[in-house]
Amino acid sequence: MTPTPAACDRQLLRLSLDDSLSEQQEDLLAAHLEDCESCQLTLAAMASDTLGWSRVSTALREEISGAQPLGRGMISTLIPANPSPAQTNAPTGSGHFSGWDVLPADFAVDFLEPAREADSLGRLQDIEIRSVIGHGGNGIVLKGYQQELNRLVAVKVMAPQLAANAAARKRFAREAQATAAIVHPNVMPILTVHSSNQLPYLVMPYVDCESLQERLDREGPLPTLDVLRIAHQVARGLAAAHSQGLVHRDVKPANILLERNVDRVMLTDFGLARAIDDATLTGTGLIAGTPQYMSPEQARGDSVNLPSDLFSLGSVMYAMCTGRPPFRAQTSYGILRRVIEDTPRPVGELNADVPAWLEGLINGLLGKQSETRLGDAAVIATMLQSCIAHVQQPQSNPLPDRIRSLAPQRARPRTAWRRLVPDGSRYRLPLMAILSAAVLGTLALVAIPPRSSPPGERSAETTDQRPLGGSAADVGKSSPTAPGSWEDGLDDELSTLTLKIDQLLESIEATADVAAESQP
Amino acid sequence: MNQPETRHSLIVRLKNAGDERAWFDFVTAYEPFLRHLAGRLGVPERDTPDVVQQVLLAVARSVDGWSDDGTEASFRRWIATVARNIVIKFMTRERRQAGGIGGTDLVQLLEQVPDTPDPGQLDQYEHELIVWAAEQIRGEFIETSWAAFWRTVIEGHSVQSVANDLGISRGSIYMSRSRIMARIRDKVDEVLTDRRPAGEEA
Repeated sequence: MTPTPAACDRQLLRLSLDDSLSEQQEDLLAAHLEDCESCQLTLAAMASDTLGWSRVSTALREEISGAQPLGRGMISTLIPANPSPAQTNAPTGSGHFSGWDVLPADFAVDFLEPAREADSLGRLQDIEIRSVIGHGGNGIVLKGYQQELNRLVAVKVMAPQLAANAAARKRFAREAQATAAIVHPNVMPILTVHSSNQLPYLVMPYVDCESLQERLDREGPLPTLDVLRIAHQVARGLAAAHSQGLVHRDVKPANILLERNVDRVMLTDFGLARAIDDATLTGTGLIAGTPQYMSPEQARGDSVNLPSDLFSLGSVMYAMCTGRPPFRAQTSYGILRRVIEDTPRPVGELNADVPAWLEGLINGLLGKQSETRLGDAAVIATMLQSCIAHVQQPQSNPLPDRIRSLAPQRARPRTAWRRLVPDGSRYRLPLMAILSAAVLGTLALVAIPPRSSPPGERSAETTDQRPLGGSAADVGKSSPTAPGSWEDGLDDELSTLTLKIDQLLESIEATADVAAESQP
Repeated sequence: MNQPETRHSLIVRLKNAGDERAWFDFVTAYEPFLRHLAGRLGVPERDTPDVVQQVLLAVARSVDGWSDDGTEASFRRWIATVARNIVIKFMTRERRQAGGIGGTDLVQLLEQVPDTPDPGQLDQYEHELIVWAAEQIRGEFIETSWAAFWRTVIEGHSVQSVANDLGISRGSIYMSRSRIMARIRDKVDEVLTDRRPAGEEA
């Protein structure tokens, strides 16, 4: 549409209200409005619609005259300053500085003192800031160096718009206090806190690590042993916090740090943690966690208790096993509804490598009612420890009955074999031949010494067996040894074997894909 | 405070998915206004999140009383009215008790079937909304535009004299003051009715 400046143009007026005119169009319309009374009125009517100019002007006039009983001392932002026409290009008004969008460079200028070292962005008291590690919801994390102590530190600085809020500052200070009270290898310690600063910040040791979230993003589902090791350490960290009466409230992969080259896991960001007896905020449900890992009681806005963290731990374990959180939806709102109402897809359906008992353990933690979540954090940690022992040494460490009894019945186990080598596949026959040979060879080793066990005494765990496990159990029936641990051991050997076959298949599949792609 | 987190705890179950969406949109728009209002009523800053939460909870619980006639717009209008009546009650009570916030009894009080507000109360409510809306959109405009609006509309100076003062054309004053008016109206409408922001030709 070509605007015709001389003529009255309703559409142009409409666009001007939306601020969607080009500069040139604006000039033309302004010129037209100078003298076209009809367009002046039309524009005014379009702008006010149902509300009415007089209603607005009355309200604002009353507001500044103090005729209305409210509004003590809050009018200053409305009354215009006396601008000189030349210098008015930028939007004014306070409170529009958003800390979420702050660039590291701007941040350094605003907040840090000038650097003393060449490779430093700036200085924060005795800390030379060297780089920005990241920034998230509540603030920015910097990497710094304390010369006198000759150590690297991580500095977490509160976002400016949060620092303007007294409640948020308090929460930040609370994070420091809460965390400082927990001394535990699986909880990231806090070295110092400065809450009176323009922007409050806290100092933590610098640890070469990545978050569990980063690892999941990169690798997808983790091996069972890694799942158990990480979960075990998180549970221990939680047990330490819980023993002080602290709920973490925001257990999620991003808050679980995996130290590089060391098998150590640390729980961090007690940003939402607070003593459960903290009277000022309890029960409002106001401070909540990340929706995807939130417990149903948090999602509902009910009061949060120690088992809420266990639900989140269950969600994290689910994500480690499957590569995705248990409750997903397009919107946060949708996620929350699922957290409250839905049963997640069984872990085994998404990753057949996950043992049924681990699926059962996760399901137990994901109980909708907080009192059904298997036990306290210390109990869970102990359970996980025995799971680790079992996976590492199945023969000598049978799975505790309690955990074994959690395993769900898997009606139709879906294995990588079925998934990757569908019936029509041209790789199927040769693969079957190779694998059968490999399996039979291994089974021959496993099956010595022979043994037997009466039918019906097979442990609950054998419901978890893969198709290959079925034949193995038959082989095992001639053994004279007592059932139970032996069968566990056998089954685990087979699980491991199946896992290896799956991995083999995946690599073959990948190779086949590449080959297929390279063919014309 | 942390708005989205507050909203997350205000889940309601409605038969119609469109209504749930409308509810969520409504809470999104309404919560900032409530926080502003609590401040103006003299609620201490440390109590504000709690108070806002409780008012929203009272509104959320009233949603049970909604009976569907099949249109999203009608739900939106209905919830705006419910919220208005609850807030008017809250304002009345707050002014009597000057910052004395009770805990759960506030929700209970607000949850009772809302009285029909008198015209003075409605007027007060609308006043609060307009002032809030004006403060919200103030920063979107350059100082000259705001001054043009303020001096011609609120202070009643002639367009010509303000144009001379500010060194801008009369045409640009008409344009910018209408734009400011439209933005205030949009902001108020987000809370008051189901109307969409300007841009759809009537």
